[in-house]
Formats: sequence, C-alpha cells, structure tokens
Amino acid sequence: MKESAGLPKKALLLGWIGLGIVLFELIGHKVIQARIPAREDWEEAVAFVRSEWRKGDALTSAPRWTDPLLREFAGELIDLPMAGRSDLEAYERLWVLSIRGARSDEAPPEPPELTKEFGRVRLERWSLGPSAVLFDFVEHVHEALVFRRDRGVDRPCVRIDVPGPTTGGLQHWPIETASRQLCDQARPWLWVGATTVMDLELRPRRCVTQHPQGPEPIIARYEKVPISERLVVYGGLWWERERWRNGGDVVLVVRLDGEAIGRMVHRDGEGWKRIEITLPPERVGSQGRIDFEVSAEWPDFRAFCWAASMRRMK
Amino acid sequence: MNQAKESAFSPLFRPSEPKAWDHAIALALSIAYVIALFLSVPDLGMSRDEGFYVDAAESYASWFRLLLSEPEEALRRETIDRFWSVNHEHPSLPKSLFALSWLAHKKWDLFPYESLAFRFPGMLLSSLALYILYLFGTRLYGRLAGLYAALAYALVPAVFYHSHLACFDTPIVSMLLLVTYLYHRALTHKKWIIPTGIAYGLCLETKHNSWILPLLFLVHFCFVIENTIASNRLTLRGGIARLIPWPLIGILLIGPPIFIGLWPWLWHDTISRIEEYVAFHVHHVHYNIAYLGRTYFSPPSPPSYPWVTTLFTLPLITIFLGVVGIFLRFPLLLPRSILRFWPRSTPFPDPARSDVLVFGSFFTPMFVMMMPWTPIFGGTKHFLVAYAMLALFGGHAFSQLVEEWEGRIQVKLGISPFAFRAFALCLALASPLVATAHSHPFGLSYYTPIAGGVPGAADLGMNRQFWGFTTGSLVPWLNAHIPPHGRVWICDTLPTSFYMLKRDALLRPDIEIAWDLLSSDYALVHHEDHFNIVDYQIWEVYGMVNPVHVLTYDGVPIISVYENPHRKARRP
Repeated sequence: MKESAGLPKKALLLGWIGLGIVLFELIGHKVIQARIPAREDWEEAVAFVRSEWRKGDALTSAPRWTDPLLREFAGELIDLPMAGRSDLEAYERLWVLSIRGARSDEAPPEPPELTKEFGRVRLERWSLGPSAVLFDFVEHVHEALVFRRDRGVDRPCVRIDVPGPTTGGLQHWPIETASRQLCDQARPWLWVGATTVMDLELRPRRCVTQHPQGPEPIIARYEKVPISERLVVYGGLWWERERWRNGGDVVLVVRLDGEAIGRMVHRDGEGWKRIEITLPPERVGSQGRIDFEVSAEWPDFRAFCWAASMRRMK
Repeated sequence: MNQAKESAFSPLFRPSEPKAWDHAIALALSIAYVIALFLSVPDLGMSRDEGFYVDAAESYASWFRLLLSEPEEALRRETIDRFWSVNHEHPSLPKSLFALSWLAHKKWDLFPYESLAFRFPGMLLSSLALYILYLFGTRLYGRLAGLYAALAYALVPAVFYHSHLACFDTPIVSMLLLVTYLYHRALTHKKWIIPTGIAYGLCLETKHNSWILPLLFLVHFCFVIENTIASNRLTLRGGIARLIPWPLIGILLIGPPIFIGLWPWLWHDTISRIEEYVAFHVHHVHYNIAYLGRTYFSPPSPPSYPWVTTLFTLPLITIFLGVVGIFLRFPLLLPRSILRFWPRSTPFPDPARSDVLVFGSFFTPMFVMMMPWTPIFGGTKHFLVAYAMLALFGGHAFSQLVEEWEGRIQVKLGISPFAFRAFALCLALASPLVATAHSHPFGLSYYTPIAGGVPGAADLGMNRQFWGFTTGSLVPWLNAHIPPHGRVWICDTLPTSFYMLKRDALLRPDIEIAWDLLSSDYALVHHEDHFNIVDYQIWEVYGMVNPVHVLTYDGVPIISVYENPHRKARRP
C-alpha cells in the first residue's frame, strides 16, 4: 500500500456528523422503546370498549400489524364474520384502537364521535348508521340447496358434517369446514361451504367456497330470500393460485327466480372483486329465489370464494 | 504532521505489516466473539434451515463412523449416495464440521447443549472473519482501521444473529474474506498462490457465493495490469510475467479439486452432479419476502432491496463511516491512466490495487442482489460480506478522523492519546453495540432507528422474521401452559428444530408436535405477512379468532399462540 488518500479539510465537520449520528441512534433507540404501548394501555382501552359494546358494533385496529394484539385482548368481541368482513355496511358503529398515530383504512372520513386516550393507545368510535344488510348469504349457506349440473341435469350435492383435512400451512387449500355440501365423491375438492380464505392482499375474507367443475355450473340456491334494493357480491380466488396468474377466468352468475340479474367474471390478479346488483324496484319487499352459479372453462385450481348480501340503500 | 508525531502514530494510522502480536490481537477478537456467541446462544431456537443441516450432519456423521469401522463399505458408491444425498443442494464442508463436532460431543460431552455441538463450528468459522478483517485492515489502512473494521462487522445485528447458527451465511463471509485476503497477498508474494487456491477450494465447499470470486478477481486484475502499464513498470525482461494472473490461475487450478475431494457426493457422476448443484442455485425457487409493504413471491425483484435493507438494518454510524471511507479512497478506485487527470493531488494507487479489490468485494454482492432475477429472500444474509468490506472502508475513515481530531483536540483536552483513541472507538461502536445487544434473540426482526425501529419497520411493511426460529423464545410460555402430553402445531418451525429444543432439555419432553390443526391443543403462527393464511385456517378449525398469547418484540407481534377450545373442553 503506497499511502492513504488523505482526509479533506472537513475532518472536523465529518467528526461532528459522526457524533451526531451516534447520538441520533442512541436517543432514537430510547425514544422508540419509550413509545411502545404497555399491555395495560391495550387492556384499559379494550375494557372501555367492552363496557360500551352493543350489537352491531365492529372493532378494528391500526396499523394493520397490531391486529393479533387486538384479537389477543378483545378476541371475544370479534366473530368470524367480523374478522373476515368485506366491508362495514353490516355494522352500525366502528371502534378503532390505534397506536403510533395510525389511521384505519376503514375509518370514515368524518371526525369520530368519540375519542379517548389510554396511555399510548388511542380509541375512536364512529357511528355508521343502521345496518344495510338484510340477508347475509354466507351465514345462511347451510340453508342453501347445492347442485352440480351434469349434462343439463342438476344433481344435488351431499351434506357432510365431518371436517376435511386440517394439516394447515402455506400449501393448504381452503379449510374444509365441518358443515359443507360435497358435490362429487370422486372430487373431494368440489364442495360448497362457508370458510375464511386469504385474498391477494393477504387479508381474511369470510366467504362461500364454491369450486367450479367446468363450463357447467355448481349452483347454490337460496329460497325465500328477502329482496331489497341491491345485492352486493364479492369474489376472489385462492390466493396462492391467483398470484400465479396463469389460471382461467371464473364466472359467477346471480339469478333471481331463474333470471340472470348479475354476472362477475373474475380474472387472476383482480383480487377481492366487488359487483353491486340493483334489484327491480317492484321486487323490493318481496321474497325470491337467488341462485349463485359458478363455472369456468378451465376449472383446475380455481378455488373460487364469494361473499354476498342483500342490502338496503345506506 | 511533524516527524515525531508521524513516527509515534504511524503503526496505528498507517498501513502496517502485521506482526506476531497483531495475530494475537486478531485471535483475541475472534475468541471474544466466540465467547459472546457461546453465552447468548441458548436464547436462540433453531432455525428452519439449521434443522435441514442438522439432519444432513447426522447422516454424514453416520458415514464418518462407518468410514472408521468399515472403510471399504463406506467408500462404496451406494453407501456414499445413501449418506451424502441428504441436502446435496449445498456443499458439505460446514455440515461435515457440524457432524464431526457432534461426534466429538457424543464421545466427550463437550457442550452444555446438543444444538451447540452442531452450531459451534459455525461460530468458529464466523469468528474467523474478525481475525481476517483485523489483519486486512491493518495491512491496508493501519491497526486502528483493522480494529474498528473487525468490531464494526461483529456489531452488525444480522451478523451477530447468523454467526450463532449451524448455517453457512457467516461462514461463507469468512471464507470469502480469507480468499480475498490471500489473493491480495499472492499478488505481491508468489508463496501465497497455493494457499489462495486451497482457501478457494474450501470456499467453494462452503457455499455457492464463492462462484463469483474468479470473475471479481479477473476484473480486479485488469486494474492491476492497467496500473502496471500506466506506471511504466512493464519492462521487457520478466516484465511480461506481471500480466499473468497467477493467483487467479492458482484458485482455478487448485480450488475445484479440493471442492470435489471434500464432498463425497461428487465422487461419482461428478459432472452431472455438479450440473445438478449449479442448476439448483441458478434456478432457485423464489421464496417470498416482505419489502416496503409488498410481499414479493417472484421476480422482478426491486433493485433497491439490498440498499434499503442495509440502510434499515446496519447501524447508521457504520454506514456513515463506510461511505466516508469510500469517499476518501475514491480517487484510488479509478484506473491509473484516468487518475493522472484527477484535479487534486492524490497518491498513486498501490500495485495490488487494494482499494479496487475491497470496493469490488463490497459492491459485487450488492450488485448481484440488484438484478431483477435474483431471489431476494433471506433479508440481508446473502450479502453480509459487503458489510465486512464496508467496515474496512469505515475503519479507514475512522482511523483518519481520529488522527485528525487527535492532532486538534486531544492536546487541548489534556488526555492521553490512548485514552482518546479508546474513547473514540467506544463512541463509534456505542450505537452498534446497543443495537446488537437489543436485537438478540430477534436478530432478523431488528431494524435501526432510521426505519423507526421494529415498530417503524412494521409500519413500513418490512419482513419481520423467517425460518420459524422464534419458537425458541416461546419455550418458557409453552412449558408453563401446555397441558401434559399436549400437542402443538408448529407453523414454520421445522420438526428437527422443534425436537432440538427437547434434546437440549429446554422444552418439556412430553410436549409433542401436532401434525394437523384439528388434533392440536395449541397452534402457533409466526408473523410474516404470507403466514396470515395460517391465522385464518386456525380461526376456521378452532372457531374463534383470539390468540391466548402473543409474543412481541418492541410491541410488534412475533408469534401468536392459539388454544384449541374443543380440545380444552375435553380436558379434565
């Protein structure tokens, strides 16, 4: 080595900058530690929510990564439909527990009706108005009649109450709920039932798994459904296969008393897709038969899941 | 700088030929690091990949036993294939060392934990990096630079974490450093050519990161040649020999035979098995990684990845000094024929073009990681060698700053030069030390204040962990809460890694693994974004969404534990 390239005249300045960085890191470390909410902060905030809780309330937290903490402290307030909701229209009030100044992406734009601080946990509550949901098809799927169309003939699927494999893990398909309707013994994946899947954004979605069999549909039929102004439908595919983006389209057709009133074509990459069907005004207040027909030209690995509800105008 | 000061300070601040006591200092640094690793290792559960390598090491150990008892049988192709096909996607040197260490432990009961028998060779190999960094730094920039470089590298939280493991990621850093150091020596002294070749063979036998070295050395040697020509040192008589890259030829001739010779799996069908080995890594599956709010499952990878993760996980002072060091040496990174036009007066580069070598070794792994087709899983573990090289530049900057400040301030303060230097070293290493101490045992979850710490990184959507090793941090809770003969669904933890907690007598022996959620008493979720699916699966099977315990690090969820209400209801 011949010799050093030497130091510019700014040695002192660089030294001071270095000293500043060390102080920044040491003080920053302390500040970060000091800003971590204590467990008591969460517990007190949840205790308040619990004391004010009423039917129709929803609870969430921000930032999103605090969700396991929220469920640890307040899990008994959160049922599966709430945890896997597609939107908030079923709920009348929204509680948000937040830290670090985060804002829930579900929070309405207007200021909350209630704000309280519990240590480093902020509690906010919004009034959402009366629930718009009149009938939730996911929670009534056990009442549905399910058919597999086979060369033009609708063959009923069989109810079973034995859970499917629950090995779990990244490769596992949607958990086969204990109560479901199996459409073909030879194809155990061809079943219809409520479950919770993960969408492309890795969020939970409570929905009805209804795997297509091919161009002929699998049909979930609901009788005597109260008809309202609109029918909101969400749908998506098993996340692992959808992110590969090499599968065929899935078609969901919604029928009212046999007549097609809505259609969703789901393509890989579209994620948790929403359509809203406006129902004929003359039918509002009556009852009707609603069919959800799922089909696909190429049904391989198309574990389609949908969530739908009959809703009033909000 | 006056003459008296120059002579007094030059051993510290100027490039020096390492003496015997330099080797003693280097050894002391390495031993101190091994002790630190040794003392902190019980806190670390075994990672997923360690589980695979333990399985492999146990298989190789069986072969070593057979080799001693029935050598002819051991050397039969079928026997070799039976024992050495396990985990043959990675070379065998570290795993063979794990195996030999474990055999020694079995015979002499050397370690307090069985896992430590597998991990100890990894710790030793990892600590070798400090030895080489001290010597390399001393040789290039002076002893203070070497000392700083070794300590700054040791105090990178990710380095500290990986140095504990029975894995290859920090051992390969040591091997890359060793080969680079010996290659540097061989450029000026031919007696180092053969050791360089041998070291390269061992490097090849450690991990595939070694493949890039010949290309790096080839580019570097072009600078050496250019330097030779531009400085008019190319004489007719014998001068042409300067154009032949003897060290490079040495590593290419000596390295591969050692690589094959030490890996029994390659002793048969050598070419096709090497092809298979290469193909595995060239077409490596893209495991997912969360980065800035998005989980990447496949290419293209974001080119910013190695730089941003470095900014977020390396102590900022280490980055700052490294960048200042590169800045100070920048003219010496240019070809000599360009350097003559450099506006400021600058010393000429050394014949070995040392700065180009160090910078190339820093930049190359970062550059490879920037390529859109490079898998980016594994956080920073695939480019840790860049941090070692950055620490060398940082050592130069630190040494230069201390020298300048010493001349201006130390006299005014009236403290001894030794006290001033020691104080400066402590100051420069204070925040890395705090960061590294705080990161343990969640080294993969740690983020610096620049990222806002662990919670800030969670806000930014950075990866929180991988390999399922954090189950080790849950052991006290599991021991206290799992019912007798309870079954736990272990998510990302490899069964071998889970069983190791029992072999180490850390986890209660009656606790078993549940292979499905329905029959489990408890289920774990290691919080990485894509493992959200496991939360949802548990919700469905257990019929509830609330974990009974959430293990946190700086307030950020690391593991959720769910209790199966159906099994709980059936317990007396």
